[in-house]
Amino acid sequence: MDLTAVFKALEASSPAAAIRASLYLFPAIETIHVIALALVFGTILIVDLRLLGLASTARRVHKVEADLLKWTWGGFVVAAVTGLLMFITNAQVYADSLPFRLKLVALALAGLNMAVFEFTTHRSIKHWDDQPRAPTAGRVAAILSILLWTAVIFTGRWIGFTTSHATVELKPPAGVDFDDFLQ
Amino acid sequence: VKAFAVWLSTTAPSVFIQSHSAWTVPILQSIHIVCIGVVVGSILMINLRILGWAGTERTLRQTHSRFSPWQTWGVVALLVTGLLMLVGEPVREIVSFSFWAKMVLILLGSGAAVVFERALDRHEAEWDARGGAASGLQPLALATLAIWVLVMVMGRLIAYDHLWGPLSPAAHH
Repeated sequence: MDLTAVFKALEASSPAAAIRASLYLFPAIETIHVIALALVFGTILIVDLRLLGLASTARRVHKVEADLLKWTWGGFVVAAVTGLLMFITNAQVYADSLPFRLKLVALALAGLNMAVFEFTTHRSIKHWDDQPRAPTAGRVAAILSILLWTAVIFTGRWIGFTTSHATVELKPPAGVDFDDFLQ
Repeated sequence: VKAFAVWLSTTAPSVFIQSHSAWTVPILQSIHIVCIGVVVGSILMINLRILGWAGTERTLRQTHSRFSPWQTWGVVALLVTGLLMLVGEPVREIVSFSFWAKMVLILLGSGAAVVFERALDRHEAEWDARGGAASGLQPLALATLAIWVLVMVMGRLIAYDHLWGPLSPAAHH
């Protein structure tokens, strides 16, 4: 399946054009993306450390999850929407970018890891809810989760260094020559 | 200040980071973001507990003991990676409104944490007896969350400092 036509249509869409035309929208969306992903990573890490028996061990696992997972999902939805908005501004370039592709792979693996954990180990939570550590499979899932979400952050940040000049042409304010500052 | 930034950019560590910027800058920024996640999670849990919105079966002291070391060490790691980023790109950071606004906000956020710890020492018994939210501290908790969100906003906007127009030192040049 050739997605080029889809990417072109996304780039030609009115939200994409509006973001490209604005000096403020892309930085605003990017900033919201960073806050949302910090929320996702920070809350997932707390749950993973609980599964590993490294922190919050005095609390039942389901209590920790009940406090945190709504923030994780809320943050994830915001990160996904803002990420999509950034993607459509320059879909073909992002789709071609190695770090972007690696990030999608890491995201997919993180999702798969979570789904496997949810449908296997987590089914028996009643037996280990009050234990300091989750069973081995749960601890493996926790380590994979930390590694994969860290990979999502690293590849995500890397995208900006391979495509930034192609995404938004930033115009300095009139009368300012930025070359003066760059020595 | 600009002269200092220019001098800093000629020092050996700065030259190293600059000349290997293809990997040093993205890696430093990525570690910085991972640490932001750690700090955001910790600050969120402490302040949600103050508000009585999470972890209410634990005392404030227990919640604070669980998360404040992560917050403190996370902030230390942010200062270290942030300092290395500053050494690597001194002019971009120091000659910007966003950077200095961020520094002021970090001081405010740290001050709020100290105020909270003092209050916890004084009122711990009373709050534990009542359970739920820490009365009187809810505005501080909301302000703390807002301050750290703004710290992240200013951090990201260092890359877009010209958006501040006349507020950006670059515009006065």
